[in-house]
Amino acid sequence: MFTLALRSIRQRPGRFLATLLSAFLGAAIIMTFNSMHDTAAGSGVDSVSSNTLTTAASVVGGYGSLLVFFAVASTLTVNVRQRAAELELLRCSGATPAQLKRMVVGEALAVALVGAALAIGPAMLGGRALLDLFQDSGQVAESVDYSFGPIALLTGVDITLVAAVGAAFLAVRRATRGQRRRARARTFLAYATLATGTLAVCSTFLMKATDEALMAPPAYGAILLSVGFALLAPRLLKGLLDRLALSGASGWLAVRNLRERAGELAGILMSLILFTAVATTTLTVQAVESDEVAASGLVKSVDAKNLETLNFTVVGIIVVFVCVMLVNSLYAATTYRSREFGQQRLAGATPGQVLGMVGAEGLVLTVAGVFFGTVAALAGIVPFTVVRSDAVLPGQAVGIWLAVVSVAAAVTVGTGLATARKVLRTPATEAVTLAA
Amino acid sequence: MFRTGSRRRHDTGPAAEALRLVKVTKTYGSDDSAVTALDGVTLGLARGTFTAVMGPSGSGKSTLLQCAAGLDRPDHGIVVVDGTELTGGTEAELTKFRRGRVGFVFQQYNLLDTLTVAQNTVLPLRLAGRRVDRGRAREILTQVGLGDRLGHRPDQLSGGQRQRVAIARALVCEPRVIFADEPTGALDTRSARTVLRLLQEAVRVHGRTVVMVTHDPVAASYADSVLFLADGRLAGRLHAPTADAVAERLAHLGDDVTAGV
Ligand SMILES: Nc1ncnc2c1ncn2[C@@H]1O[C@H](COP(=O)(O)OP(=O)(O)OP(=O)(O)O)[C@@H](O)[C@H]1O
Ligand SMILES: [Mg+2]
Repeated sequence: MFTLALRSIRQRPGRFLATLLSAFLGAAIIMTFNSMHDTAAGSGVDSVSSNTLTTAASVVGGYGSLLVFFAVASTLTVNVRQRAAELELLRCSGATPAQLKRMVVGEALAVALVGAALAIGPAMLGGRALLDLFQDSGQVAESVDYSFGPIALLTGVDITLVAAVGAAFLAVRRATRGQRRRARARTFLAYATLATGTLAVCSTFLMKATDEALMAPPAYGAILLSVGFALLAPRLLKGLLDRLALSGASGWLAVRNLRERAGELAGILMSLILFTAVATTTLTVQAVESDEVAASGLVKSVDAKNLETLNFTVVGIIVVFVCVMLVNSLYAATTYRSREFGQQRLAGATPGQVLGMVGAEGLVLTVAGVFFGTVAALAGIVPFTVVRSDAVLPGQAVGIWLAVVSVAAAVTVGTGLATARKVLRTPATEAVTLAA
Repeated sequence: MFRTGSRRRHDTGPAAEALRLVKVTKTYGSDDSAVTALDGVTLGLARGTFTAVMGPSGSGKSTLLQCAAGLDRPDHGIVVVDGTELTGGTEAELTKFRRGRVGFVFQQYNLLDTLTVAQNTVLPLRLAGRRVDRGRAREILTQVGLGDRLGHRPDQLSGGQRQRVAIARALVCEPRVIFADEPTGALDTRSARTVLRLLQEAVRVHGRTVVMVTHDPVAASYADSVLFLADGRLAGRLHAPTADAVAERLAHLGDDVTAGV
């Protein structure tokens, strides 16, 4: 079955591109930050430098890894769920559930390994650049040498593999077995994640305003809450869609599609919610932090400016990563609908109507994703601001939120439309006969 | 671009000739793997006729129907449907033209899995922005024996039931020309008879034009005439066909490939 897995990858490499990209980017991010641990452990590193490096690696590398875990897992889930029909066909041709599981998990393993291996080079360059940034801002001594060691390598490979293989395993189990029993497990998982996330954001209150790791609990909490909401979102979305009536044939189709595909949308919603929550939380928290540092008048030198730039760079990398994941999973999901679009066109839909439908779906998704993402972000921001400053909701939050939402809407609707346009170039009669 | 025979922009009732193909050629693939599915087909069908198209598997029947219906574009040649030439034009223009005039029953049904039987049936009306007559849809679905399956999804139906939904969908728009690709391929004798009677009724009572691909001589005998196709070329025509005559002709189809009709 592993040979079958390899053969299926070799025959249709395109459909694994999305998974490969997420594994590659994810592993690169984890390795980049965790190589700071390796660098800090080098000989002759003074304690201040070591401290800075370890904090950066633990805080940002920590929640970055959590984020990567869920991003890779959600891309893989989208991939496997789309292939339900193909798996069903294999099952009917005599493949046992165990064989299917080995095939899908084998594919995930191979793709994740390749992705992680490809990530090593870029991660070394990235880590070196990050260390340069630290040294330029004076937080790390110039004498410290960059080192890419076992911690970076092991965490990068392990987290990517566990996320990919775990998600593939769960998704294929769902695809080859009834869904009934899983619904309860999913609800339980959702509430457990929400509870953990709530604990994480509340733990902010236990920390002091000057703690270096004060930024960590809000970020962790926002990520966990996002995942919890993403697990619950399909059901809530279904409830909303039952009441939603969009006008026109395109709107009508969009509502019906979203309702039918609610289960599959969890993966895309996860990326969207994560993007809104993580971007809003980390950028706002960083803005508050910078303001507080400036207000305290402790360091008002060039260094403070450097530090701010550095932190925004780090947060920016994470935000861009989630944004790429969002584009990635949307692209994969839309490409896959070529046959469906073809059938609609043959039934009398103009390409414009198909695009209208995709656009309407994107808008509804954006509203749902932004709503849950905002709730998760607020849960992270408010405790931080209360502890760090005297305000409850910082003034910068609104501007950042608006920017994040604009990007989320543009990316979601834009990717959907651009991909659909490309898909529509195939003649309808051909699109419906292509193997799905 | 679109051209009506008399250069009139407005639709002024059905044209006398429902369908005309002139030297239509269609090739799939390129270079060494190229397959000529249609090789210079020329034919004309009068309004209000019921024509069956027969020929061996792979002879180009589905391709012929799709080119004639404006679903696929021929490489060369002219297609005129209901007095309007389909050459050129954007996909949107072709789609809008088809909506009012052409109904199509696909060999692979092409129903949408996310919609129920009733929703699938009225989808063309909805897309065309026309009034959705649910009563009429139910009536047609009942005629094809699916009156109790309105709320089911295609994946909950048997192959034959899906085929009947596809037929109901093609009929509900009341098109002038109906193309049906093996509409009885997955049906038992009785359901097949019902469907063939419906198609006959569309011709006799409503004056529509039906072109139907079939492998079954009995189904072909419901038509006014049969066109035979072999290797992408017309290989004869039979008027007022009986099942026996059709079977006889099919058996010798390979012997005398004659071009044109
Ligand atoms: N999309 C395609 N790409 C390449 N070749 C095609 C395509 N569609 C049809 N062909 C080829 O064109 C020829 C005619 O196909 P067509 O589907 O029209 O046959 P048919 O007469 O409808 O056969 P059947 O009775 O089996 O449905 C065949 O040789 C087929 O292999
Ligand atoms: Mg065919």
